[in-house]
Amino acid sequence: MIRQIVTLLSLAPLLTFAAPKQLINHPYAAAEPSPSPLDEPQNTGSQGSRMVAENSILRVNSTNQAYDFFQPWLKKSPVSRRGVGVLVQGGCVLVTAELVMNSNFVELEKATTAEKSSATVERVDYDCNLALLRPSDPGFLEGMKPLTLEKSLRVGNEAAVLQLEPNGEIAQTIGQITSISVGAYPLENLGLLQYKFRVPLQQRDSSFTLPAVSDGRLVGLLMRFDARSQSADLISTPVIRHFLDSPAQARFPRMGLSFSALRDPQFRRFIGLTEPGGIYVNEVSPHGSAAEAGIKRGDVLLALDGHAIDQDGNYDDPNFGRVLFSHLTNTVAKLGSEVTFTIFRNGKLIEIPAVMRAPDRSHVVSDVQLADQPPDYIVLGGLVFLELSRPYLQEWGNDWVNAAPKRLVYYDAFQNELPEGRGKIVILAQVLPTPETLGYEDLQNLVVTEVNGKRVQSLSELAEALKKPLKGFQKIEFEEDPKTIFLDAASIEANQKALIERYSLPALQRL
Amino acid sequence: MLRVSLFIICVFLAAGLDAAEIAESLVRIEATSQEPNYKAPWSPGEVSSGVGAGFIVQGDRILTNAHVVSNARFLTVSKEGDPKPYSAKVMYVAHDCDLAMLAVDNAEFFNGTTALELGDIPAIESGVSVYGYPIGGKRLSVTRGIVSRIDFQTYSHSGMDSHLTIQIDAAINPGNSGGPVMQKGKVVGVAFQGYSGDVAQNVGYMIPTPVVRRFLKDVEDGKYDRYVDLALTYHNLSNPAARKALGLPADDAGVMVDTVYGGGPSDGIIHPGDVLLRIEGLRIASDGTIDLDGGSVPLTEVVERKFRGDSAMLDILRVGASRQVKIPLGDAWPFALQSKAYDEKPQFVVFGGLVFQPVDKNFMDAYKPGNLRLDYLFDFFVEDGIYRDRPQLVVLSNILPDSVNAYAKDFLFSVVDEINGQKIHRISDVASAFEKASDYYVIKMLGVGRPLVLERKAVEEARSRILQRYGVTSEHYLKK
Repeated sequence: MIRQIVTLLSLAPLLTFAAPKQLINHPYAAAEPSPSPLDEPQNTGSQGSRMVAENSILRVNSTNQAYDFFQPWLKKSPVSRRGVGVLVQGGCVLVTAELVMNSNFVELEKATTAEKSSATVERVDYDCNLALLRPSDPGFLEGMKPLTLEKSLRVGNEAAVLQLEPNGEIAQTIGQITSISVGAYPLENLGLLQYKFRVPLQQRDSSFTLPAVSDGRLVGLLMRFDARSQSADLISTPVIRHFLDSPAQARFPRMGLSFSALRDPQFRRFIGLTEPGGIYVNEVSPHGSAAEAGIKRGDVLLALDGHAIDQDGNYDDPNFGRVLFSHLTNTVAKLGSEVTFTIFRNGKLIEIPAVMRAPDRSHVVSDVQLADQPPDYIVLGGLVFLELSRPYLQEWGNDWVNAAPKRLVYYDAFQNELPEGRGKIVILAQVLPTPETLGYEDLQNLVVTEVNGKRVQSLSELAEALKKPLKGFQKIEFEEDPKTIFLDAASIEANQKALIERYSLPALQRL
Repeated sequence: MLRVSLFIICVFLAAGLDAAEIAESLVRIEATSQEPNYKAPWSPGEVSSGVGAGFIVQGDRILTNAHVVSNARFLTVSKEGDPKPYSAKVMYVAHDCDLAMLAVDNAEFFNGTTALELGDIPAIESGVSVYGYPIGGKRLSVTRGIVSRIDFQTYSHSGMDSHLTIQIDAAINPGNSGGPVMQKGKVVGVAFQGYSGDVAQNVGYMIPTPVVRRFLKDVEDGKYDRYVDLALTYHNLSNPAARKALGLPADDAGVMVDTVYGGGPSDGIIHPGDVLLRIEGLRIASDGTIDLDGGSVPLTEVVERKFRGDSAMLDILRVGASRQVKIPLGDAWPFALQSKAYDEKPQFVVFGGLVFQPVDKNFMDAYKPGNLRLDYLFDFFVEDGIYRDRPQLVVLSNILPDSVNAYAKDFLFSVVDEINGQKIHRISDVASAFEKASDYYVIKMLGVGRPLVLERKAVEEARSRILQRYGVTSEHYLKK
């Protein structure tokens, strides 16, 4: 499901590669080897889109600075991202969440006049990779016109991707939708509806988020582009609609189940399934919508709200064709609304209603992403403690699955199988050598089990446990060797200032 | 790897035997071997041949490296100056220390040869000569160098065991394997491994005589029993606070036990958290070393020199009270899964075109499955005590495509947990589960919600078709 696709970052900073001026207004120029005459009749749809777009799109500049999880008291060096945002109803500009992830400063810029206004991130949702920006200057967007959303799309439909030239001209590139399916969004593991789009994009500045329009309506936002295959993934309009219509802070609902296709006739006979189609429930995660509704492992999901589910999990959508049933539960349904499954269980057909819930973050062992928030940490006499998270593992680079410490990778990968109530995984990430840590310099990435005899399942529990040393010693126990270490509590206390100065730490903890 | 030929070369040596005499004890070993193919475990494997060195020791025996004769089907040996090859056989092979002893059927072979004597550990910086048949020519080659370092090293033949090793700066190249390293007319080591030139320059390793002597002593009773182990881990106690907390004096002695492997020799005798103070009366420093024969070596060196059935005395401190414990030494079998195996046929079961195999190092090297769950179970097999529940990890390793298994692909490299309700602890359980007649064979995999189901009818119908199509000569091999 997850394809290796280059993010738009690779398109970003190439000002000098901007297309020659004469190509700009010709929608087909980029695709054809020899430019066709300019007086050739143009696609009226894209002409229309250009007229509207000029009045609805803005350049967005964001300076982002992520935290360094290896040195959680520090930020990494800032990076600039530029993209094209779309004015939507409500006086806000819609961009991808990735564009403003960990942003320090966001700026809106009118394409032709280069007028600027700083902006704040009004809402951001990393599940669907969308964010809304509001200009600080309330009159900044006056005279501009919000775009409306295209409702129905089919494979084969065309749309124009809009880019901005340095001089403010709009460059349009026509592309075609090649498939519509539920697929992984880059920032979370949630599968949502996306359009695969084949488009011969030029390298241009301001390309981190790009809108695609058709007939003056927004078709989607580009979130990934692979220059080699010239294929892009678009955030689909139902996902944008769901995001815009949801109250702030609301997350996308999820079923909380995993399933297998039911293609194998031997297996269908084994479970006594004579109905056509259906998928087999493999796992139901605790506290999710499926679990609360009483859906169990081994159930066969045959239909959802009257839509038959085929053996691969797809249903026939009136607007988009065959797509995965989870589009209905994760995007079409709103938080708190009810859907009804037709289920084959123990030879009988039953109906089970399910109330759609958002995943409960309090049960997450290792967070998938921690954008916009400084990571918590505790430094004890030089020992640096963190909670395990995906961003920490990702510090090992693109090959982190193989490069990061194995036990931590496994904890992250199989966190759903940990006993309920496991809490967070506190790790001794590294040691800043001090006189107190003598002999412990090489310890790193160890999972903490107990501190001073108390089980530790979060950094705040660790902070509590450290307040009560045993007979003057901080006793720390790990899952791996060395199983137990001791530090001198009084000496740590006395040398705190020296530690702060030695390693220029802003603080010994952040919780 | 080992490609050589021989002839006498006269090299002046400082003392003892001269090169011509040493050459009389040198043996060229030609091995025809068959390495099993783990991806087609029913196949006997490809035949290949190689050449290595060896030398004659007391009692008309030849010493060489285990890796020279591993998986050998046919062996010949020949002497300097005598073109006639003699057929030889492996008497003992020690894969955990890369040594082997060969015998020659025809006693005439040893006429006019001299048995070499074993010397002691040579001093650092003293000169040594390496005899063998390395690449670069056909004749006997001698290279000289000095002893650079004496330390523990992993023996790459098994990949898991480490023993005392001597590093020398004389050139050691493919073809030197099994050849003697001489000093003052005595063997001070057996050349066995090194780094390729793009990793490090002038770094070669030899097996020192304590390891060779141990091997010779071990086989005196007619069989090789492998090394013994304490099967525990420990960490240093150099932190002053840790010493105070444990009530230890500031004398820089003792290490703290972390893990005691279940079923190992120390299980139940040593507890995690115990402090080890002395082993066989020798003081253990806070970094885990002891003083032995005038050098500082890891405390395990004491155990290295012992044999199956021996025991080790340890002075320990448990919750502040000192006591003495006796550990009957044995080996820690779960580690065997993570070492490379030789002279073994791979175990497997084929059923309905599905190939089931137990996981070990050879398996992982052959398939490189890249399956995160399997990687975890393999990597942490010992550390997380996975062996307690599953002495073997049995996986669906391969699918010989047929209509009966058309939908089994999703289960590739999954670990088999149950077949028709029967728990699978080892590969033989798979064979016995499939022997019981049932309309459906329900195969449950670890961490996979949906079972893999095969219909008996379909399996039976496909059976001979699959065996024939894929040239599967046998449906299982279960002996270990």
